[in-house]
Amino acid sequence: MTETKQNLNDKITELDNQVEWFYSDEFQLDKAVEKYKSALSLAKEIEKDLSELKNEIEVLTEDFSK
Amino acid sequence: MSEAPVLTPSQFIDITNQTMEAAFPSAMIVGEVASFKTSQGKWVFFDLKDESASVSCFLPIWNLRMPLEDGMKVVVVGVPKLTKWGRFSVTVSAVKPVGEGSLKKAYEMLKKKLTAEGLFDASKKRPLPENLARLGVISSTGAAGYADFIKILNARWGGIRVSVAHTQVQGMDAPDQIIRALNYFNERGEVEVIAILRGGGSADDLSAFNDEKLVRAIAASKIPVITGVGHEVDESLADLAADVRASTPSNAAEMLTKGREFERRKIQTAVNGIGRDLLSRVATMHEMNVAKMRKVSQGLTAKYIEPMEREVQSKVFQISQSLINKYIEPMERKVNEMVRGVTEKTQNGYERGLLDVRQKIKMLEMLNPEKVLKQGYAILSGKISPGNAIKITTFTHEVAAEVKEVRNRQ
Repeated sequence: MTETKQNLNDKITELDNQVEWFYSDEFQLDKAVEKYKSALSLAKEIEKDLSELKNEIEVLTEDFSK
Repeated sequence: MSEAPVLTPSQFIDITNQTMEAAFPSAMIVGEVASFKTSQGKWVFFDLKDESASVSCFLPIWNLRMPLEDGMKVVVVGVPKLTKWGRFSVTVSAVKPVGEGSLKKAYEMLKKKLTAEGLFDASKKRPLPENLARLGVISSTGAAGYADFIKILNARWGGIRVSVAHTQVQGMDAPDQIIRALNYFNERGEVEVIAILRGGGSADDLSAFNDEKLVRAIAASKIPVITGVGHEVDESLADLAADVRASTPSNAAEMLTKGREFERRKIQTAVNGIGRDLLSRVATMHEMNVAKMRKVSQGLTAKYIEPMEREVQSKVFQISQSLINKYIEPMERKVNEMVRGVTEKTQNGYERGLLDVRQKIKMLEMLNPEKVLKQGYAILSGKISPGNAIKITTFTHEVAAEVKEVRNRQ
């Protein structure tokens, strides 16, 4: 689960980077359509992950009354 | 009947204490504080009294978790003891104010003290991580506030690994249990944030979160702490010491997570934004290319076409000048000469003719009959023979006359 979350955060970071590229000096029109398609595909993946992800809740066995 | 044992004072005191401890392993006494004093910065003494009785209390100062003063109503947990001087007192293991007035008083006193120490300074607050992956929760797992927190957390976000330390969240043991849980998470250093949660309750229920040791432990936590204790209106000293204060456990869940919907909208906005931006950039680049081409064309014109044009114009001018010099000017000169010649001739003839005409006009003027009449002459009209009627015209008159006689003059 945490690995998936890590992947989700990685994907969100990757999407942020991809979006940033469009506003950076590295922007090239001939590569833009390909990059846009990639960002769109990644966005869909993230949306799917967001719908499916669950939290992992563990109640510790330690006794804090002592 | 057996004889009473003979004891030394020490033995008597020891046996008495053992007996009392067996009878009251932990007595809980409620009363009003009187004659409160501290000694050597280590010990606390006060009397606990009601309308008709009073009992001495003693505790080490580190067991005093909230400030006390005379008149406050408190509950103490302690063991009755006979001291080696034969005086009876209660050795207190825990004491806390009870009743709204005392709780408020203790809260204000501790708040003032800890504020002066800078424990609640805004500069000490740390932000919550943006992408939370590991969370430590300290709460009672049976409490409604905990259930609300988990419900909201699951609804808003996923993929967080939550470790829950189950502790009491009210009562005299609660502060120590929460402190142990705080230490547990801090020692391991696995979680990014610690959330201390408890639902609403009375001032007495929530008083555990005004415990001085707990407040100090929260302020000293290496891991950022968020509190979600009670309701919006309840402000505890734990809230003030925490890095972030949520108004309720549900609000804590909201503050710890971005929200699936928020993230979805953010992603959609970003992707739609770059789509629009792409179109805009294409349009802009097109305009820029047109401008560049225009500039290049202007540059080429300035560099090649215009000099060429100037050269051609210069050549044409030179050629035309040379043609003019060679052919046109001589021809023009010739024509001018011819014209001048013709003009001169014409002019001479004209002048002579004019003189001739003027002379003739003068002659004609002299022949003008009116001029002759003016000189006094007269004109006879009609047949000059005797008896005929004639007309005599002078300058001023016309005279009808009859010829009487005709004679020859020569």
